[in-house]
Amino acid sequence: MKNLWKTLTRTPLVALLALPVHALAPAQDEPAAEDSGGEEGAGEEEEPEKTERWFAITNGDIHTGTGAILRNGTILSRNGVITGIGYDLYLPEGTDVLDAMGMHVYPGLVALAATNSITQSRSSFQAELEDDHELDAHFGLDSAVDEGLRALYGDPEEGGGSHVDTGEEDSFDLDQYAALEGLAAKEVRNKLEDGFDPFSQTLVLALATGITTADQSGAAMKLKRGEIDRTMMREKSQATFAWGTSSPTGTQSTREKFAIAAKYKRLWDAWNALPEKQKKEKKEPKKPRGFDASALSVLNGELLARFNADDREDLQGIAVFAQEYGFRPVIWGCREGWTVAAELGRAGAYAVVTPRDRNPKDERLLRDGGTSIENAATLHAHGVQVAIRPASTGFSMMGITGRDLMHLPVEAAFGVRGGLSNEAALASITLVPARILGVDRRVGTLEVGKDMDAIVTDGDVLHYQTFVQWAVVHGKQVYDKEKEIYFAHIRPRPKPPEAEAPDAKEEEQEAPEERPRPAEDEAI
Amino acid sequence: MISLALITAALLLAPPEGPGRSDGSDGLLAIRVGRAETASHGTIEHAVLLIEKGKIVAIGQDLSIERGIPVLDRPDWVATPGFVHCATRIGLDSRSGNGFEPQQKASGELYARQDVWAEVLEHGFTTLGLQPPGGGIPGQSAAIRPRGKSAAEMILQDPANLSITLSSNAGSKKMLRGAFEKVDEHDEKVKKEREKWDKEREKKKPKSKKDEEKKEGEAEGEKKEKVEEGPKFFVPPAPDAKVVPFIALREKKLSALITISSASDYLHLLDVISEEEFDWSLACDLRNDIDLWEITARVGETGRRIVLSSEVTLQEGTRRERNLPAEFQRAGAKVALVPNADRVDSFENWRLDVGFLVAAGLDRDTALRAMTLEPAEVLGLGARLGSLDVGKDANILLWNGDPFEPRSELQAILLEGDIVKGDVHR
Repeated sequence: MKNLWKTLTRTPLVALLALPVHALAPAQDEPAAEDSGGEEGAGEEEEPEKTERWFAITNGDIHTGTGAILRNGTILSRNGVITGIGYDLYLPEGTDVLDAMGMHVYPGLVALAATNSITQSRSSFQAELEDDHELDAHFGLDSAVDEGLRALYGDPEEGGGSHVDTGEEDSFDLDQYAALEGLAAKEVRNKLEDGFDPFSQTLVLALATGITTADQSGAAMKLKRGEIDRTMMREKSQATFAWGTSSPTGTQSTREKFAIAAKYKRLWDAWNALPEKQKKEKKEPKKPRGFDASALSVLNGELLARFNADDREDLQGIAVFAQEYGFRPVIWGCREGWTVAAELGRAGAYAVVTPRDRNPKDERLLRDGGTSIENAATLHAHGVQVAIRPASTGFSMMGITGRDLMHLPVEAAFGVRGGLSNEAALASITLVPARILGVDRRVGTLEVGKDMDAIVTDGDVLHYQTFVQWAVVHGKQVYDKEKEIYFAHIRPRPKPPEAEAPDAKEEEQEAPEERPRPAEDEAI
Repeated sequence: MISLALITAALLLAPPEGPGRSDGSDGLLAIRVGRAETASHGTIEHAVLLIEKGKIVAIGQDLSIERGIPVLDRPDWVATPGFVHCATRIGLDSRSGNGFEPQQKASGELYARQDVWAEVLEHGFTTLGLQPPGGGIPGQSAAIRPRGKSAAEMILQDPANLSITLSSNAGSKKMLRGAFEKVDEHDEKVKKEREKWDKEREKKKPKSKKDEEKKEGEAEGEKKEKVEEGPKFFVPPAPDAKVVPFIALREKKLSALITISSASDYLHLLDVISEEEFDWSLACDLRNDIDLWEITARVGETGRRIVLSSEVTLQEGTRRERNLPAEFQRAGAKVALVPNADRVDSFENWRLDVGFLVAAGLDRDTALRAMTLEPAEVLGLGARLGSLDVGKDANILLWNGDPFEPRSELQAILLEGDIVKGDVHR
């Protein structure tokens, strides 16, 4: 400790201030880069989970995402799960330590509707593209399963309406349907997990952006590098429903589905509440005609209802409808949400917005309309949970560059430009999308018990200059800016002064408090 | 002196008027060259090879040669083993497919009367591994010599290995996993039948001659074929033709050559076959954007054999050259190489392509081994050919210089002891 202290006090203050803050990073036991290189880290795949694998990020400013910011704190994980966040944590022997002195630590970002090229190998991606037209990605029914359903319930083309919507009342057998649903889910799971490419360069770019969880065809995938075990966190969290003035039949059908499901749910709940004896006597209520399992799942709180809507009337309609049935809608687009924010807030809606979206209002109408940079802020102020995604959810080296997924934090920063708070902007690319994907118990914030998916940045994550220096997924360092081909040459990380390294051994947790800090919240 | 004795012994052992060879002799021939690169035990300077009946019977430095043995004396030449191409479709059509046809055999497509066999032999290829067509699990390869009047005369080993292609998608993984599951199902079935049979036998102990007749034709290698106490045999149910190769894999009577096309395929392959124990080699066609370097260490530490095309590639998205064969070799994998394309001109340039790899850092001995002995191992012929060793087939190439030098030329070729190329006056 004394040594570092001496060095620091001897250094002229002006020089200190002029230095980029992370130049101060040296003084710990080892250069952090040595701890575990990206590839070595990935190479530990075979390691049995029985042996305890400890990983810690020390000396960083930890933005937990829950409101707390721990200056110069430590975050410790065991086998990929966070076991402690705080100061003076005891690090067990053999802990892999990532020294983030002068850096910021954030929860890993969550990308909604991301391009499947992040995790899918060429062969599986190709296969998927080929049958994409038959596959509603967000419903997730494989064509084979579709056929199975058709065989069971008749051809939708012939029967008119969706395949679960045939005429015969008695043709429904919930078990059978559940089995098929399970099969569908399994197929999606297989498709995504068996096609997982842990060496994908798009995956590296995603990690370079700070993304550690990606929505792939509606499933939440963990961006593990160099390993393919348990990469899928949840295969489905939303069911899509049609709504819009442009398709009145779709709206009507959605209304009917919910009406029927709600009626059935009442009957079933009443039956279920009966004592066991009577239950046997009285038969379980039959699924009525037009019954939709997704709507029931939404009413049961198992799935979120997703709507794609932008216009004020539609948003208003969805908000009222959702309140009627008591569920929280996820509204993708939500362009004119700022005009009906109060209603959406009352409905407890989630909104997935793109702050840089530009669309003029319909000039034939007197009312407010079109896009607004304040959309995210206004929605948030009215209690809507705002998630942010860029205009393109691919990774672009040309064309739409700057508005693609590589600029997810920048897109959130445009929310800040429109008045969103920094905390809400961070949540809009971490916790809220995690909730939408149904994986907020595992990711989205840094909390004890959640997965150790964190990023270490050299500045405010919302600042356009900021680079992700390291990314950690499931307690393993999977990205190191200095070691990848993409950004290593841009503003390289200053090397720790070598002479200092041996002396600084005793310095563990106590760095001098006067250390200059980067200005906080200076984002945009 | 020992070697002299050896040669003499060899001479004595050989019957004076050996039968068999086309020219009436037993093909006794001594070759004296400046250098022999054995591919198995290093380089021998001033080497003498003694060949008899198509086999190498002695090899060593400065062996003295018994009088009367014809000698090919070329002190400035270099001898190497004949080239082996372990995975080709040359001489066969270029079909593609993605099916599950493990019972198919590439040898079924073999047609002997084609010029192409002489052409590839001309360029030093003394052994070829013919692959079944397409991806998926298309069938079994055959090892052939590029000489013969009929398919049967050409075939060295059939089947040589089982060809499998695995890619990272659910369908491909399911196909391979399913194949082994079918073996399990078959084993289960055999077990049940066996129990049934045992029970029945218990019941009717006195009379039981009926079963005896059924024993023929069942050579699929079921372990429980025999019953110790009696002459009666249990006849297991015949497995499905598509299951047979996988049973052979499990019993290690057959090896597999598994083709992948990216690093992730390897992990998915391990995911499928991690619990299976059988012999397999990896194969991968190198392309410029291939991310195979991600797995060099993992493949290397298992010491597995990997078949690669012979080119220096560029790392994905960069102009950074990667010599993947060298990287795999350094990591500990056994490397076998194949020409970059299934065309005769590509066969012709193979030694130069490999020469570039050597120039770019591949160990020279490894390179030669990767063209001869390792591909022979892939075909399950490592004990029979692929190197200049006593007892192996006399497939020998004679060069007037370093085979990796562009200016060197192939002077003579011996295929199983016969000089098939080269106007050599003794």
